[in-house]
Amino acid sequence: LDALNESLPVPTPTVLTQGFWESAKKGKLVFQYCSKCNTLQAYPKPWCSECGSEELSWKEMSGEGTVYSFTIPRQVVDNSLAFKDKLPFIIAVIELKEGPKFISNIIDLPPDNVRIGMKVRVTFEEFREEIVLPTFRPCKGNSRSEMANVVDR
Amino acid sequence: VTWALKGKYAIVGYGETKVDRDRHGKLSIEQYLVKAARLALQSCGLTKKDFDGQGIGLMEPQVVHPMWSAHIIQDLGLHPRVVLRSDHGGAGPGYLLEQAAASIHAGLVDKVLCVGADAPLTYAPQTMAQRLVLDFMRPFGMMGPNSLFGLVAQRYIHLYGVKAEQVAKIPVTQRYHATLNPIAYFDRAITTEDYVNSRVITDPIRLLDCCLPVNGGLAFVVTSAERAMDMTDRPVFLLGSGACFNYRHGDNLAPDVTYMGTVKAGKEAFERAGISQVSDASFVQLYDDYSYAVMIQLEDLGFCKKGEAGNFLEETDISFAGKLPINTGGGQLSSGQAGMAGGFHFMVEAVRQLRQEGDQRQIEGANIGVVSLIGAITQYAGNLINSHVSILGREVA
Repeated sequence: LDALNESLPVPTPTVLTQGFWESAKKGKLVFQYCSKCNTLQAYPKPWCSECGSEELSWKEMSGEGTVYSFTIPRQVVDNSLAFKDKLPFIIAVIELKEGPKFISNIIDLPPDNVRIGMKVRVTFEEFREEIVLPTFRPCKGNSRSEMANVVDR
Repeated sequence: VTWALKGKYAIVGYGETKVDRDRHGKLSIEQYLVKAARLALQSCGLTKKDFDGQGIGLMEPQVVHPMWSAHIIQDLGLHPRVVLRSDHGGAGPGYLLEQAAASIHAGLVDKVLCVGADAPLTYAPQTMAQRLVLDFMRPFGMMGPNSLFGLVAQRYIHLYGVKAEQVAKIPVTQRYHATLNPIAYFDRAITTEDYVNSRVITDPIRLLDCCLPVNGGLAFVVTSAERAMDMTDRPVFLLGSGACFNYRHGDNLAPDVTYMGTVKAGKEAFERAGISQVSDASFVQLYDDYSYAVMIQLEDLGFCKKGEAGNFLEETDISFAGKLPINTGGGQLSSGQAGMAGGFHFMVEAVRQLRQEGDQRQIEGANIGVVSLIGAITQYAGNLINSHVSILGREVA
């Protein structure tokens, strides 16, 4: 069990979610779109959670958003030992320009410099086993001082 | 229109085991469950046999078991007519109480034994992860409820500003209550400084904001108001009940996560009970997986305006002797969270207070109690999925 806890959790694409992961591999952030009622849902669901339609397709997001909230883990717990070497890091809720919210990481920024309202843009990081994770980094639209400590790519 | 169930059903017995943090599992979940059931039955003069052909309400523990109720029925040798099962997490006991009353109201049974037990320290946390969590939360380093509540609390602070010294009132007062509760896990008081200086687990959640997982079991017995008097001279009546599930679709829209379904559940419960929360409640029991959850529920139930819980706490004595007693048993922060059965702590403490059995922490003249429960923080979507509010009273109306 310790070995299980210490290995990084790798997403397992399913029939429902593979469109999301395939797109991420191509550098695209896609959410489910309901053509009946125009709802966007960030996490793949079996039907539109607003109107119940199964007419869902993948829609590419602009990748632009703002930080809605964040937390900075300072220690790991039993279920997340694999993240010990990354501490501290930023977990954030990103409110996409299109509306939905998505939980991800903010990278290239010292954790204590993050703030709610910060403008961010999606980027894509190789995770492991063919999985690419959409993460976010600060982008233009923030003040000069906020951008001062952002790591260049 | 008066609620059909108002004052017609009562809790007549209750039980709460000692808790522990044993990681080696000296006792199994089933053993805690049996101990809790025995205490509840003893408190109202009933035995296991009295529940032949009657109801049993079971709380699902964290370990996955597709037929938990069948397992318990066989393991305990029960012969029930109605089996209720709750997987509503912290909100479970409120839901079980409501369903027990409804089952008796429908004439299916005369009484229901509701029981919850869990031993979360004895098995791996992997057992409770859902696909969504494994695929879309864990890879980003989300560490379960701590991370999710960190995100809620950070937004709360951003919108309303709250001082750590104000938040401290919750863990400090609850710890004081725990010192007056012989079966609470912690028995030493803490100070505001202890809270402020406690280490940050995940910003802005401090160690002393977090509930304490323990192994343990709790139970209560429900019957009709007519039968109640045969079992106890201190029945506690169900006056109102409200629930809200799947409050909002957090990932579709942009809900304000500083509100919970408790707004809706509380309104329904108070309307059914026909009381005004602020003036009529003698005390409140608020599910406290985190300090911030207590603040949000205080606001959602109308005890203060949204965003003003910090000032409210600063100005209000929330001890058992104060103006609005909160979590008089110590809550899960200090008494312990018996895994998925954690919500029972609040129901049982409310019953204890309304029976005037709170000993050193008894609220003087406790007449009406509010039990607000929340559960299922599987996803960051309008906070928690399940909200439940019960209004309990010493008298029928």
